[in-house]
Amino acid sequence: MPNPLNSSNVISDELIRRFLLGTLSESEQPVFEQRLISDDGLEARTRLIELDLADAYAGGRLMTSDRKLFEQRFLVTAERKGQLAVSELLRDRFSFAGAASLTTRPETKSFARRLAHFLGLDRRAWRIAFGAVILLILLGTVLLVIKEPQLPLVIANKIKPKRLVPRSLPREVNHPTNTASPEHLTTPSPLPPHDAAVQTAQRVELFPSPPDDKIPTITLSKAGEVLHLQLVITASPNPAYRAEVLTDGGQVVFSVGSLQAPPFNVDVPMNLLKSGKYQVRLSDARDVSKKEIASYYFFMR
Amino acid sequence: MSPAKKLHVLEQEDFDRLIAWLDADPAGAAITYERIRWRLISILASRGCAVPEELADETIDRVARRVADIQDHYVGDKAIYFLGVMNNVHHEYLKRPKISKPPEAVDDVELKEKRHLCLDKCLDKLTANSRHMIEHYYAADKQAKIDLRKQLAAEFGVSLNTLRLRALRIREKLQICIEHCLQTQGL
Repeated sequence: MPNPLNSSNVISDELIRRFLLGTLSESEQPVFEQRLISDDGLEARTRLIELDLADAYAGGRLMTSDRKLFEQRFLVTAERKGQLAVSELLRDRFSFAGAASLTTRPETKSFARRLAHFLGLDRRAWRIAFGAVILLILLGTVLLVIKEPQLPLVIANKIKPKRLVPRSLPREVNHPTNTASPEHLTTPSPLPPHDAAVQTAQRVELFPSPPDDKIPTITLSKAGEVLHLQLVITASPNPAYRAEVLTDGGQVVFSVGSLQAPPFNVDVPMNLLKSGKYQVRLSDARDVSKKEIASYYFFMR
Repeated sequence: MSPAKKLHVLEQEDFDRLIAWLDADPAGAAITYERIRWRLISILASRGCAVPEELADETIDRVARRVADIQDHYVGDKAIYFLGVMNNVHHEYLKRPKISKPPEAVDDVELKEKRHLCLDKCLDKLTANSRHMIEHYYAADKQAKIDLRKQLAAEFGVSLNTLRLRALRIREKLQICIEHCLQTQGL
């Protein structure tokens, strides 16, 4: 069997890894040792793979057998324990930031990270404490609902009229004294063609999967206002739809789970929106996997 | 003190002779010394030795005591000589009765806090590109991590392996910086 450590051969990363975990064969071990003791390049590579190994252990990417070897054969020096500590530090600091888009400017991320660090949110203890607080709030809510069973109905009744009142209700309900409702309130005038992508109105009609240059831009307004989105869909085979408004980073900021029939009107409170690109994802309300049926986009500025 | 260490105490004169033998330039000798020590420790750890640092230091002490006898006629890579002496030291270690090590102290909270602060300082010393790379290289888990690294490699216009090497070199700098930072804080 050819020895992978013949002097003419390039030593693979895998071989270095096996050396570090103490699993070289009896014939490979002395040859590797001879190379390492006098080869600066091999030392440099071995040092890097040490770090890689510590990262893999900290990230839970080693198989059970390798984890044991790591603990027994690798983690025997102060320097390596220090490497593992830094690997864990990097994992704790950055692993939760994985969903962030690569297009995010480093300065912006850095500020967010600094803020999180300033507030202590990157510390495990704080995260546990934060989780405990959320759990307590949830438990408190459950207890309150059990104790006051009519409470969900009261809340639902308060919310329902705002969301479910059809737009075709007689205007007199809202404006009983104004019998001559101006026509432009129900059917907004079309915008001039050159201004099609920039709208200041708070009611917007969205078409599925528009090209980038057709994505409407909406101006942020006062926190108390609502953005009315009308989602256009060509066919509606499902009895109920769910609409979710997501940031560019994939975070859901608003959702409605009971849209019955088109046109779908989604009222998004302005205070939930910031500058940036948003996606409205339409899916079957009964489908727990939230498989997308249509996507709509808009910009806020 | 361990059995290996109490046998002899290294004289300053022997140590100075060792340094001079390794390199006429003291700064170069110090680098060579550290490299040989690191390699000895790695080899001993790979052999399953539970106290590789102790045996590496014992090896260096023994070589230091022999330099006076060999320096005039020794030819070749000096590191090889260390390896030969280390083999003897390791052989003796294997014959020693095994002493179970006391359980190690749990990492205390204060040290972790200091490590976090040092990480902040060391991240601030990186260039914007290096910092961007390291933050994304260590972001996400499992499949998400693989996908993110592919995106990152594409963003920097390098292969995944090159990305890994670059990230590890930055990681190495961070390691050194954090250790230095902790030392300056008296840890």
